[in-house]
Amino acid sequence: MAKRRLTSAGKWAILIVFLLWTVIPILLIIVNSFKKAKDIFTDVPRIFFAPTLDNYVNAFTKSDFGLYFANSSIVALSSTIIVIILATFASYGLTSFQLRFANTIANGFLVGKLVPVISMLLPIFVIINAVGLRGTLVGPVLAHVALNLPFAVWLLMGFFRDVPRELEQAALIDGCTRMQAFWRVLLPVVLPGLAAVFILSMQYSWNELLFSLQLTTLETYTLPVGIASFVGAISVDWGLSSAAATVTMVPMIIIGFFVQKYIAEGTTGGAVKG
Amino acid sequence: MTSSTPAMPLPTRRRMSSYARKDLRIAVFLILPAALAIFIVMIVPLGFALVASTFQYSLGQEDKAVFVFLDNYAKFFADPVALRSLLNTVIFTVLSLALCMTIGVGISVLLKSLAPRTGNVFRAIFAMPVLISPIIVSLIWRYMYDPTYGLIYYVLGLVGLQDFGGLTDSATALFSIVVTDVWHAVPFIILVSSAGLTVIPEELYEAARIDGAGAARTLFSVTLPLLVKTLVVLILIRGTDAFRVFDLIYGLTGGGPANSTSSLSIYAYKQAYENNQMGFAMAVAVITLIGLVILFGPLMRNSARGRDD
Repeated sequence: MAKRRLTSAGKWAILIVFLLWTVIPILLIIVNSFKKAKDIFTDVPRIFFAPTLDNYVNAFTKSDFGLYFANSSIVALSSTIIVIILATFASYGLTSFQLRFANTIANGFLVGKLVPVISMLLPIFVIINAVGLRGTLVGPVLAHVALNLPFAVWLLMGFFRDVPRELEQAALIDGCTRMQAFWRVLLPVVLPGLAAVFILSMQYSWNELLFSLQLTTLETYTLPVGIASFVGAISVDWGLSSAAATVTMVPMIIIGFFVQKYIAEGTTGGAVKG
Repeated sequence: MTSSTPAMPLPTRRRMSSYARKDLRIAVFLILPAALAIFIVMIVPLGFALVASTFQYSLGQEDKAVFVFLDNYAKFFADPVALRSLLNTVIFTVLSLALCMTIGVGISVLLKSLAPRTGNVFRAIFAMPVLISPIIVSLIWRYMYDPTYGLIYYVLGLVGLQDFGGLTDSATALFSIVVTDVWHAVPFIILVSSAGLTVIPEELYEAARIDGAGAARTLFSVTLPLLVKTLVVLILIRGTDAFRVFDLIYGLTGGGPANSTSSLSIYAYKQAYENNQMGFAMAVAVITLIGLVILFGPLMRNSARGRDD
């Protein structure tokens, strides 16, 4: 019994250490965003301080953070909408028509997920540059569509496969055409899958750095690029960048709580059910 | 009426009804846009990279490009910084993967032994970093590693380890980035392996208990063997992510000090945008892709086969 109590104590010790390890870095940045510089730069982390909103005011007025926020929203929303439309059609086509090459095509999509971003970036950069679209939001939108499509198709294929075939066949027997059956019968059933794709694709686009870094210019910077420019500065303004980081990451953390069960399935292409 | 459903006419090679042909047209129409998007944004650029990697040229001066065939590749293997980047990438991938898998799977097994509700609360909190942008993760950890104000030094100082070099010492910088990557990636492992653990039937644990198997024995004889498929997928996803690491290094060290944290992606990026050697950078990108295929190709074929059954 004593031994069992000891292992139980060890278990809780590990869990609590891991809890602190996970939460403290996030908390530190959020707390710093409400601190004046003199409270951030202390040898011993200062727990009690007079909170201020100066950093947030500065982020939105003295830097172009508001603009980055708008750019990121446009890129994330438009690329996600395109991804959802393309992926829904493709995954329906791949699952409901008993195509002979369906598996091959689906595996082809999955391979796309493994191509290193850097080996896509350089050629796309050259092409976007050549057609004069560099510095517009078209570049990042296109790139994010391609990067998100593979997982979206795989995730939705899983949802379409789970729909009982009888449901679609009943609709067809009742005189629906294929597309009518798709709109009226299948789409409402796979709605949770669309929600998962929406959120996972939004977050990827919201967080993506490399493409946006090279395909945008000052006026079209997205949030990660803006934050990278704060970090890249010789002396980091910790108050301001903490505020920017907090505004960017807190929505993601909150959304994360709601979609955790889809993350396993979405990122593993349905190989692991959440 | 019983629920026996009439079979739909299936397209067979013998007799393709007009109905099936129409179906096929719809299917092609549905799949084509997505396939084209992948083809144009992923496959075409890869072909372009292959061709461009045999030229020596800088951006905007494509007309002055000189065909050098495999010289760019030879140059890669003769350049000590390039080789260092390759080595760093492999070390980073192996170290990060090993730590992430051990800690991540270990924590999920611990969580499974808790009451379901408590486990879920812990899991939700543990998963917090999973959707945070890597560039923000690097900002957070730049602060953690700050030599004057950083919490890392404060904690290490308490146990007399204040001499730790962190991000500024070329001996410890790469390891420090691995630590950051572990912080960011373990939550993902926890989520996926927890999902994998839920499908292991409870009776098997029951049986192991009756047979008198201890915790360690149960872990290695029941849990891990049944988790193999999930683990393979995880190694594939996490390994390829680690091999392509860019954002974290870009935000934490930019590849320094003294190239001690330069990865293949960082190196290719610098060759393209700082040294303006596009052809050479494309060659580095192609080498990165080949490295990925060599390291993870066999695993990928296995996992694709496993998917069909």
